[in-house]
Amino acid sequence: MESGVSSVINLTEVAKREKEEFGKKVSELIIEFGAENLLACMQCGACASVCPLARVGFEWYNKKLIKAILIGMKEELLDDPTPWACVACNRCTEICPRQVAPFEVMFAMRRLMVEEFAIPTLAIEGIRSLYEHGHAVYMTGREARKKVGLPEKPPTTDSDEKALQDLRTILRNTKLAELGLIPME
Amino acid sequence: MISETVKEEKKLKFGLFLGCNISFNRPDVEQAMRKIFPALGVEIDDLVGQSCCPTWGTMPSIDIVGWCAVAARNLCLGEEKGIDLMTACNSCYGSLNEARHKMLKNPEIMSKVNEILAKIGKKYEGKAKCRHVAWVLYKDVGLEKIKESIKYSLDGITVAVQPGCHFLWPSEVYPDKEEDPFNPKVLRELCEALGADAPYYTRLIDCCGMGALRSTDPEKSFILVREKLECIKEEIDADLIVTTCSSCLIQLDDAQEKLRKEGKINFSIPVLHYVQLLAICMGFDPQQVAGICVTPRDEIIKRILEGGKR
Ligand code: SF4
Ligand code: SF4
Repeated sequence: MESGVSSVINLTEVAKREKEEFGKKVSELIIEFGAENLLACMQCGACASVCPLARVGFEWYNKKLIKAILIGMKEELLDDPTPWACVACNRCTEICPRQVAPFEVMFAMRRLMVEEFAIPTLAIEGIRSLYEHGHAVYMTGREARKKVGLPEKPPTTDSDEKALQDLRTILRNTKLAELGLIPME
Repeated sequence: MISETVKEEKKLKFGLFLGCNISFNRPDVEQAMRKIFPALGVEIDDLVGQSCCPTWGTMPSIDIVGWCAVAARNLCLGEEKGIDLMTACNSCYGSLNEARHKMLKNPEIMSKVNEILAKIGKKYEGKAKCRHVAWVLYKDVGLEKIKESIKYSLDGITVAVQPGCHFLWPSEVYPDKEEDPFNPKVLRELCEALGADAPYYTRLIDCCGMGALRSTDPEKSFILVREKLECIKEEIDADLIVTTCSSCLIQLDDAQEKLRKEGKINFSIPVLHYVQLLAICMGFDPQQVAGICVTPRDEIIKRILEGGKR
């Protein structure tokens, strides 16, 4: 873990500023991006008790992120990597007594960050690879496949040009194209 | 698809959904499935033209409709043939079924997805779903048939099971559910059917730390995998770790070696996907069905082949 002074954020101050400054509330954006039940959260902490991110010390794990969103924080959250570390395990969704689906909040936060271009390079690489090859994880080396007696190419978009073009057509008709994150000729 | 003798024995047939990691990283898992399923009377369709599910860091992080559209194209490949998909990757299982659940629950998402699919001449009706290979083995093939099919048994071998997150949660979206998703039994019973002991251990349902967590912060990810491995060693001293997820397989196998090199652990436990273990027990060539690993497997495979002849 890092040493040195931890940065303390004064939530009361942030809440005050939110009231004064923001037009559309962060919570509204998060709901729009998929976390429909955000407002049902009662901050019981059940989701945090099962979250692997909370256990290993990520700053803005599910319950805490929800609190921050509910009081209107935004800028402070944009640089934080926590939502991108969420393993989508949905332990939180399973256990939440109010059907908040905290996983959806984590991912809605990712979607909001993407709009603000606060997206990790690795994620962009995965998306580029999905568009180029039809696989987010792609390897040109085929020794492994040959070693176990399989054809070099799997029966995926990797060996089916028409299917790859179909997939690209789909991607060009999604929000990905509007965002301009990757070249999509 | 429907034969005249439907009543006699329903022919099992699934589209084999590979996913990226199995296709390129761990094709021995693919080979294992290609061996065991036909031998167990389950027909496999290649689902030619399948793509990435899409995995969590891609479309699910961008936009829900886009996520569902990519998933729906994959599901269509099965639906067009009147079959379900099946996968050995928990991430694919999670992404495809979450997407399907969203489309079924929300007609607006479904219709937007179908507007996009229309551009490539496809339509998703919501019928085809993605099954997990472990559930197909457990429910459709059945433990009895598995017991009958094996040439080598795991008598005297203790395994630590790792079902993995997306095998369990959120149970609402999956076609098959454990009785208690926080106390899973299916993988333990599958291992016991091969003759192994598969005891409970405290960190059985803990996350392996793979995926987004590992790419965001490897150090934090290694905390999880280390705790898990130490618990397995201390509590049950397992001979083998068995998982139903290709991501857990890679993480437990690969990170274990890193932890050893850094001097953080001083033991070695081989890791196999359940389909690989079954393939070995059924007598298929270990080089083909379990030939790719970082943490050595030779000894345990030798022990199975020498010790457990039935
Ligand atoms: S479990 Fe649900 S209600 Fe409780 S803090 Fe988490 S999201 Fe809020
Ligand atoms: S889905 Fe994300 S937020 Fe929820 S428990 Fe898993 S890692 Fe934590």
